[in-house]
Amino acid sequence: MRDEIRDNPEFGVLHVTFEHAGEQIIAESGAMVARDAAIDMKTSVQGGLASAVKRRLTAGESLFQNTFTATAPMQSMRLAPAPEGSIERIVLRSGMEVFLQSGAYLASSPGITLDAKWQGAKGFFAGGLSLLRAYGEGLIWFSSYGGIHAIDVGRQHEGYLCDNTHLLAFTEGLRYQVRKLAGLKGLFLSGEGLVCEFQGHGRLWLQTRNPGALSAFLHPFRPVGGSH
Amino acid sequence: MQVNLLYRPSQALAQCWLAPGERVIAESGALVGMSTHVRMETQAGGIMSGLKRMLAGESFYRNAFAAEGGEGEVLFATPLSGDMTVLEVGDRQWCVQSSAYVASSPEVEVKTRSGGLRGFFSGAGLFALETAGRGQMIIGAFGALEELPVRGHVVVDTGHLAAWESTLSCRIGKSTPTWLGTWLSGEGLVCHVEGNGSLWVQSRNAGRYGAAIGARLAPRQP
Repeated sequence: MRDEIRDNPEFGVLHVTFEHAGEQIIAESGAMVARDAAIDMKTSVQGGLASAVKRRLTAGESLFQNTFTATAPMQSMRLAPAPEGSIERIVLRSGMEVFLQSGAYLASSPGITLDAKWQGAKGFFAGGLSLLRAYGEGLIWFSSYGGIHAIDVGRQHEGYLCDNTHLLAFTEGLRYQVRKLAGLKGLFLSGEGLVCEFQGHGRLWLQTRNPGALSAFLHPFRPVGGSH
Repeated sequence: MQVNLLYRPSQALAQCWLAPGERVIAESGALVGMSTHVRMETQAGGIMSGLKRMLAGESFYRNAFAAEGGEGEVLFATPLSGDMTVLEVGDRQWCVQSSAYVASSPEVEVKTRSGGLRGFFSGAGLFALETAGRGQMIIGAFGALEELPVRGHVVVDTGHLAAWESTLSCRIGKSTPTWLGTWLSGEGLVCHVEGNGSLWVQSRNAGRYGAAIGARLAPRQP
């Protein structure tokens, strides 16, 4: 299988070409743009219904994922996320883990397992964040609203702190702590509310826009409803 | 402060490198992330200046980010998709539309333009900030940013105005001689920019965007 990401950072699209029959990719439901006819699509509930329901409840991910399988050599397809923004690709090897902000998952190869890790105890859930844990061996693609900015914590910087709404993904070598930034009071506008502080060694990905800021901007333009 | 602009033009991110002890001032809400060597302080600068900033369409708080115990990095972005640029302040001074202001070096004084309420209130929520001092200012746009050199007189839609040099005079007016014509044209209020200097325009108008999309959303509670 060959893959290529085009049109970052504005409108990232994942181009996939299956060189041999039998090759597969799994994608978030609704992500398909177009595919050659000799690619079969099967909707599945990955990891069984219970795990998919848990994913739906905790990480807000689609209940169903689609598995695309080439039935002939040299078949190609394209996948795209919902918002305008970028796509990033990670190569996972056995023993590695990556955490994705809910909604960032785009696609993965069959060797990857997705798990909604309950973050309540560690404070992520309270921070309005829920995470998907991805592990296994293979490729995973995730997407952003805006550009994707990678930071190597432990090398470039001793530690890094980011606004929760801009957090996209991070690798397992990082320890994190959700807190309120001292001195940031939400007197009139929320401004920066909760932040996540990362320490350790690993990579962190941030998105340059956040959907909450867009909806906050649009809110005052909504028509005002009646009293009924 | 060294500024590196990434993901231009549509998804721009300002990456600011601070030497130990160096600071940068930013609009509250612009923070994307920062290294742990950076400490943030909120400086409302007194209730009155905070309220004045709110009247200017900015948020109450402006934050200072200071590198302590080493070099630091801070990332800033705007809420809507668009480009950013760095304006050098010193030999040239700038007026900037309040929503276009992102961050500035501490030696740059950014104040709500005097007479802003009377002279500059357009009904479209347009207020100007004015710089003094020397340093850098980062501005962010909705859409693309374009620098127009002005020699004489240029007419700009208020929603497309991002920043202009202080040497230019900026007067709010009608787009055509009569109010009826102005209303029919749909061009609304414009800014008559006169003199010699540099003008920055943004290619999208946030008010029109909000009206076009917001009107289609479900009603909100009054």
